[in-house]
Amino acid sequence: MAIAHLGLKAGALIVVLVALMAASVVYLLYARGVFEATQRLVLVADDSEGVVVGMDLTFAGFPIGRVRSLELGEDGKAHINVDVPKKDAHWLKQSSVFTLVRGLVGNTNIRAFSGILTDPPLPDGAVRTVLRGDSTDEIPKLVAAAKELVANITALSAADSSLAQTLANLQSASAKLNGQRGLLGMLFGNERDAQRVVTALERANALLARLDGMTAKADTQLFGERGVLPEVRDTIVQLKALLGETSASLKKVDAILDDAQAIAGNAKAATTDLGALRTEVEANLRKIEHMVDELNRKWPFAREVEIKLP
Amino acid sequence: MSAHATRPGALPLLARDFARWLLGWWRIVEFGAVIGVIALSPGSYSSGRRRAIARHMVLDTAPVLVWFTLLSSLICMVIARIVVVTALSYGLTQYALEMLVRVLVIELIPLTAALFVAVRCTIPHGAEVAVLRQRGTLRALHERGIDPMRHEVLPRVVAGMFSVALLAMLAGVVALVLAYLVTYGFTTWALAGYTRTVGRVFDPTTVVVFQLKALMFSLAVVLVPLGSALYDATRSRISAEVRGLVRLFALLLLIEAASLVGNYV
Repeated sequence: MAIAHLGLKAGALIVVLVALMAASVVYLLYARGVFEATQRLVLVADDSEGVVVGMDLTFAGFPIGRVRSLELGEDGKAHINVDVPKKDAHWLKQSSVFTLVRGLVGNTNIRAFSGILTDPPLPDGAVRTVLRGDSTDEIPKLVAAAKELVANITALSAADSSLAQTLANLQSASAKLNGQRGLLGMLFGNERDAQRVVTALERANALLARLDGMTAKADTQLFGERGVLPEVRDTIVQLKALLGETSASLKKVDAILDDAQAIAGNAKAATTDLGALRTEVEANLRKIEHMVDELNRKWPFAREVEIKLP
Repeated sequence: MSAHATRPGALPLLARDFARWLLGWWRIVEFGAVIGVIALSPGSYSSGRRRAIARHMVLDTAPVLVWFTLLSSLICMVIARIVVVTALSYGLTQYALEMLVRVLVIELIPLTAALFVAVRCTIPHGAEVAVLRQRGTLRALHERGIDPMRHEVLPRVVAGMFSVALLAMLAGVVALVLAYLVTYGFTTWALAGYTRTVGRVFDPTTVVVFQLKALMFSLAVVLVPLGSALYDATRSRISAEVRGLVRLFALLLLIEAASLVGNYV
């Protein structure tokens, strides 16, 4: 049977097979994280039971890393080497906590918890201790805790227990509460003290009534029609008028002072003129004295002028 | 009395049958070695033979490719749906996907592809070769200086192995896509998680075991029917087909069991 385009068809089938194989290989390598840049995290656990290579490390339920290898360390503990892709590594902080939890059903889970997201990121190659939690391991602890709880409850509910005594005291207290003096009787335990408190309260009440009356009187004296406050108000009005008058008087004094200043200026000028006048009078007097001297010298009836020679 | 009389003759008969059974398997192994040497020698792929191989490849693979893909898709969808719904009802959805990938891609599809190719191509090929042998065509070819192994058997072997590989590969990819679609629907948000799950399933050991299993399946599918046809003394075509089918089922089961041991023990 001859087949049309045999070579083409056979070639197409081979190409399809090769392409599928190549795509599968690339996809599997990608799925295994071969093309991802990763950083290493070493988790140290007492027991690596349930941990297998390829297992996920989850953060908030999302896988952010996978177990690459397991080894027994020099310290006798299981070292779980986890590869965390760089793009997810920022979720792991220096304060992150790692837990290894094995459930009743299903795989063991390695989980990371980062409480403080602002902490510095976990460095490459960091070594952290992993906290191990196992639901089946927890059952004996739970039973032990429950047993302890039951023992405590039994001790509490015993007839001679503190709780029973407290309840008895509470009962006597409630009986006193229902008595004649009620709460005060319960508080003081005897009638006399309770009575004194009641008396003190009554006196305080009377005192308060008197204080009330005094306050009313003080109110009348202060703010009443003939009280202190209206008179003070009148005084202030008068004082205001007085201040106005004083201000007017001061203005007048101001004017007088201006006049006095002008007078003083005039006096100063007059004093200057008096100086010139005095100089002139003195010159005239000197001339008159000179003239008198001339007259005396020239006058024949003038007394003799003796010239005594030595 | 008659039972006592027949007993001494039953044991040698059983021993003879066992020896014949053992010889039958040995001849298949020998045939595998011979055809392996022929397949790996470049001289077997001359222009004429390449054309014969291409013809068998196209005839064996192209007609069944679409049908097998559709059939396997249907089976995958049904199984995926059952697994997902069951996992949902038990609250174990996180394990459903991993289980689907393991069951469908690693275990079921290679086996289905091998059986499909065996029933559709290689067992009929074996019967054809048996008829050629009975008619003396192979001997006539040998006498004419043409190697019947290279001329008649090699194209059928290569075509059968190619067919198993292509069908298994294509159905596997389709199953991966369908498992995702059945679980998550037509969305891309879960692609990263799905890829991670597939990566987790296909760890290096699983990949090696898976490849070995696929190789062994394809070898078994071509070697058992053709080997039986070449060396067994059969009188009819039906007898050759049935004998080849029984041997093939036994070998496929053995390979599957070995792969399960390799993967999970």
